[in-house]
Amino acid sequence: MVIIAMVTGFILILMGLYGALTNTNILRMIVSFSVANTGVNIVLVSVGYMHGRTAPILDNAVPLAEASTRIIDPVPQALVLTAIVIGLGITTLMLAYAYKLYETKGTLDISKFSELKW
Amino acid sequence: MVNALFIIIIGLGTAFLLGLLGNTRRNIAYVFMLFALTAMAWIAHSWLWIFTIDAHSRVDMFTAGTAPPFAINLRVGIVETVLVLLVIMSGLLSAVYMKDALLRLGYKSMSVLLVFVMALCGIILTRDVFNLFVFFELAVIATAGLLLLSDDKRALAAGFKYLIISQLVSMFLLLGIIFAYHATGTLNIDGMAEQSPEMLKGIGSLAFFFMFMAILTEAKPFPANGWALDIYESAHPGFSAMFSAGMAGAASVYAVDKLLLIGGQEWLPVVTVIGLLSFVAANLLALVQTNDRRTLGYSSIGQVGLILAVMGQQDILGEHYLFIAGGILLSHAVAKAGLYWISGLIQKRQLTDWSVLRGQPLLIFAFVSFIGMLSGLPPFPSFYAKWDLVMMLASVDRLWILGFILLGSLLEASYLFRWFGYILKRDIIKEDAQHLSLASYKLIVIFIAVVIAWGLAYLWGELSSYNNLLLAIPILFALSFLLLDFLPTWIKNTLAIAGMVAYFFIAYPSYNPLELIYAIIFLLGGAVILLASYYEKGRRVGFYPSAMLMFAGLTLLVMAENSFQFFAAWEFLTIGSYFLILRGKYSEPHALLYLIFSLAGAYLILSGFALAAQGMIPFSLESLSQVAQPIAPWVFLLLAIGFMTKTAVIGLHIWLPGAHAEAETDVSPMVSGILLKAGLFGLMILLMNMGKQQLYGVELTYIMLWLGALSAFLGNLMAVFQEDAKRLLAYSSIGQMGYALFGLALMNQLGWLMALMFVINHYIYKSMLFLSVGGVAKRTGTRQMYQMGGLIAMMPLSFIAVLIGIIAVSGVPPLSGFGGRWIFYNAIMASEYRLPMMLIFISGPIAFLYLFRLIHTIFLGQLKDEHRKIKEAPFWIILPQMIYVTALLAFAVVPGMALHRVDNYLNPFFAGQGLNWDGWTITSNYGYWSPVPIMIVIAVIFATLFMWLLFVNRKAQKVKQFNIVYSAERPYRPETTHFAWNFFAPYRKAMGFLIQPFVTRFWETFADLLHTLADIVRRFYTGNGQTYAVQLLAFIIVIYLFKVGY
Repeated sequence: MVIIAMVTGFILILMGLYGALTNTNILRMIVSFSVANTGVNIVLVSVGYMHGRTAPILDNAVPLAEASTRIIDPVPQALVLTAIVIGLGITTLMLAYAYKLYETKGTLDISKFSELKW
Repeated sequence: MVNALFIIIIGLGTAFLLGLLGNTRRNIAYVFMLFALTAMAWIAHSWLWIFTIDAHSRVDMFTAGTAPPFAINLRVGIVETVLVLLVIMSGLLSAVYMKDALLRLGYKSMSVLLVFVMALCGIILTRDVFNLFVFFELAVIATAGLLLLSDDKRALAAGFKYLIISQLVSMFLLLGIIFAYHATGTLNIDGMAEQSPEMLKGIGSLAFFFMFMAILTEAKPFPANGWALDIYESAHPGFSAMFSAGMAGAASVYAVDKLLLIGGQEWLPVVTVIGLLSFVAANLLALVQTNDRRTLGYSSIGQVGLILAVMGQQDILGEHYLFIAGGILLSHAVAKAGLYWISGLIQKRQLTDWSVLRGQPLLIFAFVSFIGMLSGLPPFPSFYAKWDLVMMLASVDRLWILGFILLGSLLEASYLFRWFGYILKRDIIKEDAQHLSLASYKLIVIFIAVVIAWGLAYLWGELSSYNNLLLAIPILFALSFLLLDFLPTWIKNTLAIAGMVAYFFIAYPSYNPLELIYAIIFLLGGAVILLASYYEKGRRVGFYPSAMLMFAGLTLLVMAENSFQFFAAWEFLTIGSYFLILRGKYSEPHALLYLIFSLAGAYLILSGFALAAQGMIPFSLESLSQVAQPIAPWVFLLLAIGFMTKTAVIGLHIWLPGAHAEAETDVSPMVSGILLKAGLFGLMILLMNMGKQQLYGVELTYIMLWLGALSAFLGNLMAVFQEDAKRLLAYSSIGQMGYALFGLALMNQLGWLMALMFVINHYIYKSMLFLSVGGVAKRTGTRQMYQMGGLIAMMPLSFIAVLIGIIAVSGVPPLSGFGGRWIFYNAIMASEYRLPMMLIFISGPIAFLYLFRLIHTIFLGQLKDEHRKIKEAPFWIILPQMIYVTALLAFAVVPGMALHRVDNYLNPFFAGQGLNWDGWTITSNYGYWSPVPIMIVIAVIFATLFMWLLFVNRKAQKVKQFNIVYSAERPYRPETTHFAWNFFAPYRKAMGFLIQPFVTRFWETFADLLHTLADIVRRFYTGNGQTYAVQLLAFIIVIYLFKVGY
């Protein structure tokens, strides 16, 4: 299970990277990065997963005394949550930039935005 | 103490609260933002006091009330405090600076700025890797937001490129973090560092690699940094200042430093290599830049590279690490921010457009302070830091690192000072000058940076293990002229002369005879030349600080006891003289050439001292004699080449003719008559302490002997074919210095006496000739000799000075030049080197050729029409010449006055091969020399012949200028009767092949190659964001293959 998740995650990362580096359309690049980010998040979760344990929520189902043996490590989960939020922020910002870039030149081709060079 | 967490809280809290004010009250929001930044700065500042008392203490602040690894902790120590203060100050000042843009874009931009500053502080303070990730992402988002402050539409593309890169960075960072957590069970950096040995095995090492490369990318290593350059070029200069000083200089670099705690020793070499590569490559590519902000971007990347390289040396730097890294980092941050802020005042973006600053002396001072700081010149922190760094590197034999650092520094200084030349010398376009936006709040920001720069210079001087350079009296004296620059010239000139003379008499008791001769030339000699400066009217802004800086350097050089003092003095006199030379109307390229050669020479001297010291601090100059084999000859070689650069030995001479000829009338004698002696002084110190050295069986002094002879021969030969009188004198200096070098390299007492004789003589007659020729050029408006002629009647005093001067130079009796020759021939007979001796002999008559031209072409022959109403040179230019005439005559009669004591002083070094000084007669093994009878005999012969001439001419009839006929024609124009142009054409036919500009061509080709290389490599930055991403991936893979994979 962990292996499958991790492999899936890495496949998504590589797919995302490939997409981001081969598509010249800015929107496609952003989508590709989102795919890659999802892959990263899956890898994060899969690394933190411990077989046979439950979600790290302390309620009636998991008494405090047994918590350390019954729940999975909450840290990676917290990290993923944060990473997702930040990823969302960056993606939004990229989309806003894409919009602005399109306004200036009427194109979404990344190679057209290379006046700054050398 | 206020909890440092409040820095974060205030930043973030205010950012949110600004939203309540909305855009209708954006003025209030702006004030709130400034207030918040001030509060943050105050907190950081209050911590600074604690840690300055105890540099090793540090305080951990726990969030969530728990210790790590269960909660994030922030740490405040001296480093964190300083860096946080740096970040906040750059933010605060930039916020003031960007007032217009921030108010235009409203409260959101202010919130983003606060978030940016807060995020950078977070990066510096946090000890948690995931927290580090969060703060980095915040910084990225804020950067993308703040880029929109720019008026430059291209900033949008730059921001997007950065976002692409940051996507990759965050991926690597997250993957690295999770696997590192898996391997160690903690997210705390110190926790990981404790488990570093186990962690760096297996998957943990890959995890570390990912994290490390991600963080390192934020430090913009070459070549994965095209995106950063685009940001630097297009962002608002206020933001670029924050980005360069805060983000790149402080936060990213410190994050790398934190990760190195985990990576440990094993990763230091990686940082070193990447840092050095970035430093050298960025500075090389900057050579071909024409856009100012992009140039600064390259420089920024280079400086961060240098800091990374220093980080890679922390295993050997020990307790000096913070002093060195801090010195470079703070210098970079302050200077770069300051330069970006200045760039915001200027409308156009070419480096040459900065010439609009010319009318603004204060801004020029700011610019000079900043580029001096970046180039590591004294008295700035980077100077002390580089000195210590080089000493440490040499003591553990990391010589290639040392070499690359000096190479990069030289490249950087080259383009920075070329830029300075543009400011002072390039044309100003009127409309541009009117568009210089000198808003007072912007100027205040810039001058706060200047004050901080000099404050840091003082601080580093106090912290260093040497004397504080800013407290040396000569330097203080020179700097005080900056404040007095509003006074008229004659007051400043009087102050300068009085100061130099007074200092000489105060320091007089401390000189030994050898030093005394140099001190007399430097201080009293300088004062005599300064008499000519009374001629200049107005305020002459910038002249006195530069001149006094040069003289301060010279003064300190004579008094230097250890290698540090010597080198600092050397740098001071180099900078001062560079500014002086640059004052000439057409001297821009020549001054730059001079500076580059001088700095290169200085770096060789630095390496020589470092190699010799082997970590000994302080390293006294006498200790040079104790340097052990096998490094001794190498030390000798480095130092000798360094000093010979200053004496313009053949091969390293190409800077001299232009620099000396294009300088102002009173500057030429200073840099020729006085400054050249600094190199000879260095050579004397070197030879006196190290004696003869052999490298691979070759006697190094023997090579110097040949170089001296060749310089004398070729220098004189090149002088013969000059049309420009000042260039002629300049080339003649190369020859004269060749004689002196030859004398020193003979390594016997007579040779040294002769060299000293040349030191004194050359000062007197070269200063005099430069003044006479300068005076003539002032009156005639040209320096081309063939355009002059017949000036003897118009300028009799100048004529007398030149006549006496050339008699002295040519070494015929009765003047002191003959004394020089006489000692010289004795010295040669006392040694065995016949072949170079021949060359030296031949150069004598060659010198006569060009000297003859000076008198013949300028003063004799036919007066030109346009010069018929010309007057004698101005009084103040004539006065020092007359003093020199007197001095030459006096020195010719009583040479013993100066030389006797030196001879005695030299005795112990050369085991008594000296001269006998009996009364008026000087005796050697080969003969004797009595100056007084010679003088009398010559005077009698001269008087007799003169009388006879008067007698036979008593009935002579005066004729008009054209009362002549030749070839059956009567000339009407003076030009047709005065053969002056290409005067020595036949000699040129015979010997011209010897003076083909091989050396010049060699150096030109070298410079061309560098530029071409830079121009090719920089095409690597295609401007396509996707390409940048591929480059980053490739960079990471290459590093992986080198470090982990093999």
